[in-house]
Amino acid sequence: MTIMTRRELLKASGAAGLVLGAPALVSAQSKEPITIGTLCPLTGAGGSYGPDMQRAVVAVVERINKAGGIAGRPIQLFHEDDQTNAEAGVRAARKLIDVNRVVAIVSTWASAVTLAVKPLCVEAKVFLIGVSGADSVTQGDHRGYVARTQPNTNLQGRMYAKFAATQKEWKRVAYLALQTPYARSFGDAFTAIVKAAGATITDDLIYEDKKPSYRSEVTRVLATNPDLIMLEGYTPDSVVMVKEIYKAGYKGAILAPSFAINAKFIEGVGPEVAEGIWNMDRAPLFDSPAYKEFSAAVPRTDQSPYAPQAWDQMSIVALALAAGRGEASGTVIKNHLRAVANPPGAVVYSYAEGAKLLGEGKKINYEGASGSCDFDAIGDILSAPFAVQQVRKGKSELVQVINP
Amino acid sequence: MPPIAQYVFNGVVTGGILALPAVAFSLLWRLLRFPNFAVSTYLTVGAYVALMLNRGVRAPIEVAWLGALVATGAVALAVDRIAFRPMRARRPFSLAIASIGVAFVLENVVRFVWGNDFRSYDVPVTRATSVAGLRIGRDQLLILGVAVVMMAVAQTFLLRTRLGIAMRATADNPLLAAVKGVPTERVIALATLGGGALAGGAGVFLGLDASIDPLMGGGLIISVFAAAILGGVGSAPGALAGALIVGVMEEVGTLVVPPTYKTAIGFTIILAVLLVRPTGLAGARA
Repeated sequence: MTIMTRRELLKASGAAGLVLGAPALVSAQSKEPITIGTLCPLTGAGGSYGPDMQRAVVAVVERINKAGGIAGRPIQLFHEDDQTNAEAGVRAARKLIDVNRVVAIVSTWASAVTLAVKPLCVEAKVFLIGVSGADSVTQGDHRGYVARTQPNTNLQGRMYAKFAATQKEWKRVAYLALQTPYARSFGDAFTAIVKAAGATITDDLIYEDKKPSYRSEVTRVLATNPDLIMLEGYTPDSVVMVKEIYKAGYKGAILAPSFAINAKFIEGVGPEVAEGIWNMDRAPLFDSPAYKEFSAAVPRTDQSPYAPQAWDQMSIVALALAAGRGEASGTVIKNHLRAVANPPGAVVYSYAEGAKLLGEGKKINYEGASGSCDFDAIGDILSAPFAVQQVRKGKSELVQVINP
Repeated sequence: MPPIAQYVFNGVVTGGILALPAVAFSLLWRLLRFPNFAVSTYLTVGAYVALMLNRGVRAPIEVAWLGALVATGAVALAVDRIAFRPMRARRPFSLAIASIGVAFVLENVVRFVWGNDFRSYDVPVTRATSVAGLRIGRDQLLILGVAVVMMAVAQTFLLRTRLGIAMRATADNPLLAAVKGVPTERVIALATLGGGALAGGAGVFLGLDASIDPLMGGGLIISVFAAAILGGVGSAPGALAGALIVGVMEEVGTLVVPPTYKTAIGFTIILAVLLVRPTGLAGARA
C-alpha cells in the first residue's frame, strides 16, 4: 500500500505553498490568501485513511490555485494530524482556529474527534465538514456550521438492512454489536427494516470490548440458529468474535462494516476463516466524472470511501466561497453551502466548472466523486450509494452497489 | 436456550487460563506480603515474547510457548530485583502501588516495541467438534490439559521438594525461616521466576484463545484478584478452585445479566467473599 509518509506530505504541502507564494501565478487583482485547515487522522486507528484524504484536499487546492484562486484569492492550507484522538484533535483545532485563522476545517474522520472539535468551530464561526457517522455529529444547535458527507448511522443501518432483505435465504438474523455510541441507533434502524421485510431477529446482543473470550456470547447467539449474523464492531474485537464463531462450527453468513473487515482483519483471522464474509460501506460514485478526475489526481490502492469525500468537501467549500465572491468566512460557507451543492441548478462535477457558471450568475448543483452531496437542514447528506463486498480468496471484492 | 453445560465448559476453559496467574498472584502475595498487580501484565509480556518467536523467527507455537515461560520468568525476576527488592522493608501498601507502576511501565514498553495493534499467532483456526451436544475445541482441550499439568507440577514442587517446603516456611514466617537457615532471597527469586513463568504461559494461551494486544493481561486483573481472594491468599489449590468458579460464573452469568456487565461479576465475587468469608475457601491461615 502506498501511503504517503509524513515527510512526503510535508513536501507536497510545501509544493502547494510554493504555488501560492508565486505571485506571478495569481491573477492581477491578487489579494490575501484564504486559509483553510485539514484535520485528518495521519496516525492512530484512522491512519490507513487520513493520508489519502489529505492528499485529495491538496490536489483540489492545487487545481484551484493554478487557475487563479477563488475570485483572485489563493487558498492556503494548514495541515494538522488528529491522531484519531479527540484530545489531540482539539489541540490541533485550537491552533488552526487561533493561530492560522482558518475559515473552515475539512476532513475530520473519527466521530469522537468531530464531536470534540465541533463546539470550538461553532463558537469561532468556523465551518466544519467531515466523514464521521455518529448521529450526534449533526444534532444539537450548531447554527449550520457543521456538515458531513458520510451517511449517519441511522441511514447506514437502513442500507445494510436493505441489502440483507434482498438475500432471501437470510430468514433468521442475529444482531451482534460492540458497545459503541452508535450500536443502538444502528441496530434499531437495521432490525426494524429486516423485520418489516419478513425475517426474524433471533437475537440482539451488545458485547463488551477487550474481554479474553467471547465464547458465551457466541454460544448464546448461535443457539438461536441464525442464517445471518450482523456483526457491527471494529477490527480488533471482530477478529476475536469471528474466530470464535468459526470455531463454533457456524456455517451461515456474516455481514459487517468494511472498516472492520479490512486487510488487517483478514491477516488476523486468516483467509480461510474470512472467506465469504459480506461487508458494506458507503461507496464512491464510481462512474461519476468527478470520481474519474479524483482517481487520476489521487492514485491509491484501496477503494475506501473517505478520500473521495475529502475531495468533495474541499470542492464544495471552495464553491461556497466562490458564491460569496471571495469574501472569506465560515459564515459565507454555511450560507452558500446548499446553494452550490443541492438542486436546483446546473449539474457541475468540479470547482472549475462550477466557478465559471457562478461567475455568469447561474445556479449550480455540485455532484461529486463520493455522491450527489445534497445536504439536509442539519447538515446530513440525503442519500449515498453503498458498496457491498465479499471476502474471496483473502481479498474483499466488490459485488454490487446499492442505491437508496 | 443452549444446555447450561456448554456455558459451564466455556467457563472451565476460561478458568483454566485464569488459574495460572491467579496461583502466581496468590503465592507471591503470601510470600512477599503484598498483592503484585503486575502479575496480570506478565501475561501480556509472555504473549508478545511468543509472538516474536512465532512470527519473527517462525518457531512453532510449542517452542514459542516454552520461550515465553523462560523469558517472562526472567522479566519477573528482573522486575523484582529493580523495583521490589529495594522496597522489601516498606509497608505492603507502598509495594502494591509500586507494582501498579511496574504494570504501566511493562505495558508501555510492549506498546513501544510492538505498537498498539492487535496481533495473532500463526496457527490454523480449527472448527470445534461436538461431543454429546457439547462444542469442544481442540485447542481448548489442549490449553486446559497443559494448565492442569502446570498446576500439578507447581503443587508437587511446593509439597514435596526441599525448596518448596522452604518456600512455604518463608511464607508462613519469614523471620523464623531465616533463623533456621532458609535462604530467603533465593526462595523469593525462585518463586518470582516460577510465578512469572506461569503467567507468561497463560498469556500465550490467552493469545491463542482470543487475540494479542497490549491491554490483554492488564484487563484481567479484576478476575485474577477475585480468584485469589476467593481461593484464600497463599493457597495454590484455593486459587485454582477460585479461578474455575470465577470463570464459570462469568460465563454462566451472561445468561442472567447482559454480557456488557461481565466485568461486574468479578467485582461482585470480591465483595461477597470479603463480606462473608474474608479468608477465602481454603484459608484459615490467611
